[in-house]
Amino acid sequence: MGPVHPSTHGVLKVVVDIEGDTIKKAVTEIGFLHRGKEKLAEIRYFSNYYPIVDKLDYLSALSMETLYASLIEKAADIKIPERAVYLRTIFVEIQRIMSHLLFIGAFGQDVGNITGLIWGLRERELLMTLVEEVSGGRLAPMYMTNGGMFYDVPKDFGDKLVDILDKIEKKLEKDYVAMFQNNELFKIRTKGVGVIDSQTVKRLGITGPNMRASGITRDLRKDQPYLAYDKLEFDIASEKEGDSYARFMVRVEEVFQSIKIIKQALRLLPDGPVVTKTPWLLKIPPKYTFVRHETPRGEMSFYLVTDGSEKAYRLKIRSPTFFSIRALEEVLVGSKVADAVVIIASIDPVMGEVDR
Amino acid sequence: MADIIDDLKLKLKDKISVLYSDPKEPVVALADKTAIKPVASIISKSFDILFMLVVVDRAPKFELNYLFSRYSDDKTITLRVVVDEKDYAIDSICSVFDSANWEEREAYDLFGIKFTGHPDMRRILLPEDWPGFPLRKDFKVTDEIRNWTGLDLKF
Repeated sequence: MGPVHPSTHGVLKVVVDIEGDTIKKAVTEIGFLHRGKEKLAEIRYFSNYYPIVDKLDYLSALSMETLYASLIEKAADIKIPERAVYLRTIFVEIQRIMSHLLFIGAFGQDVGNITGLIWGLRERELLMTLVEEVSGGRLAPMYMTNGGMFYDVPKDFGDKLVDILDKIEKKLEKDYVAMFQNNELFKIRTKGVGVIDSQTVKRLGITGPNMRASGITRDLRKDQPYLAYDKLEFDIASEKEGDSYARFMVRVEEVFQSIKIIKQALRLLPDGPVVTKTPWLLKIPPKYTFVRHETPRGEMSFYLVTDGSEKAYRLKIRSPTFFSIRALEEVLVGSKVADAVVIIASIDPVMGEVDR
Repeated sequence: MADIIDDLKLKLKDKISVLYSDPKEPVVALADKTAIKPVASIISKSFDILFMLVVVDRAPKFELNYLFSRYSDDKTITLRVVVDEKDYAIDSICSVFDSANWEEREAYDLFGIKFTGHPDMRRILLPEDWPGFPLRKDFKVTDEIRNWTGLDLKF
């Protein structure tokens, strides 16, 4: 299956041995989207690396940008204004909702429900338009910079955002429940399919929604609060079963939690500048810097080694999906070929960050 | 956190030195690379996964940063080992931390460091016939790479 199979979500290739309709062995092959991003970090200035980070996890580019900006700010000891902290929290959560909505849609399509895909894209488009209005970009917004963000949001941003969130919340509570959670066919296709137990999760190092679906309640936003998360109230979405249905439900619940977070952050949003002025050619003294955030797909992390120049000496990117898709080699064994498509979709891989 | 460092010091004596004693993210240097496996099994008592493996090219040596993390809280521990030019090889810790499997394959793929005892030591991101190890500082883009088509690969 793959790398250009329409159901494999990007260029993931899974070599499966089948006997009749049952999978006997599965080997994942990655690297089709390898663009040498870690090498590119060594030849680009710190401020010029943002367009590359955008293409890591291209479904949540703003989370990637925020993570990279936090890394540079930690390394160069830059303090960002309070307004930028809250705006970043809002945009990271907007991206989480966008990413999960696309997951819900694409997952629907993979179980044979095209309407789900159209709906997911429709709701995501509302937020996408807003991000475009603010930053000028859709998939690769290029909004964050060292010390904050390039420009402030428009005056009516808050009202528009609340309107959109209310719309999405209403849809998710009513229409989506009828389409997914109350749909017998959907339940038959996903319940008990592709079970990853908590032992496997801990052994393989899986993080994010895939981990929370297996009964491990952990979220870096709570355990290691960054940005403004320690001042905001929210719950960790978690399920026990570890099957595809649980992974779906965790993401649906996370959308509700994100909506809650954004509404609180909008109320607390202070006035003031959005950027601390920093020189474009930044020099960072020799040191090691490690930053990790909870992105829509799990614990993403950057490890930066600097040597005093204006370029990175070494930048390592830790991708959460890189660890998650290893589980496919074990989970796919024994399942039917038709279920394999559902299981791959439920992991929610984005190959941009796996292959780097 | 302090007890694991004490434990390491007790068992390995002068091979272990603490470089950075942050209570949340301590960094420990290991002087002898052959001791990596016993050290990993001591660490595995309190940490669940190899979070990331960062290789840094300090030509002619390579510096390996093993970063371990756990699910119960946000603490990490970094283990720094140097592999020198006599032999770019180190024992694999796959038997202790299964999460190290693909990280070690990636380190082999991009830096050419061999992990002895690894169950599946193949390239992971680059194709099998790719010439050289691209993340090394002395890697040059040659004609062979410019003209590489991938047509010899088996699908």
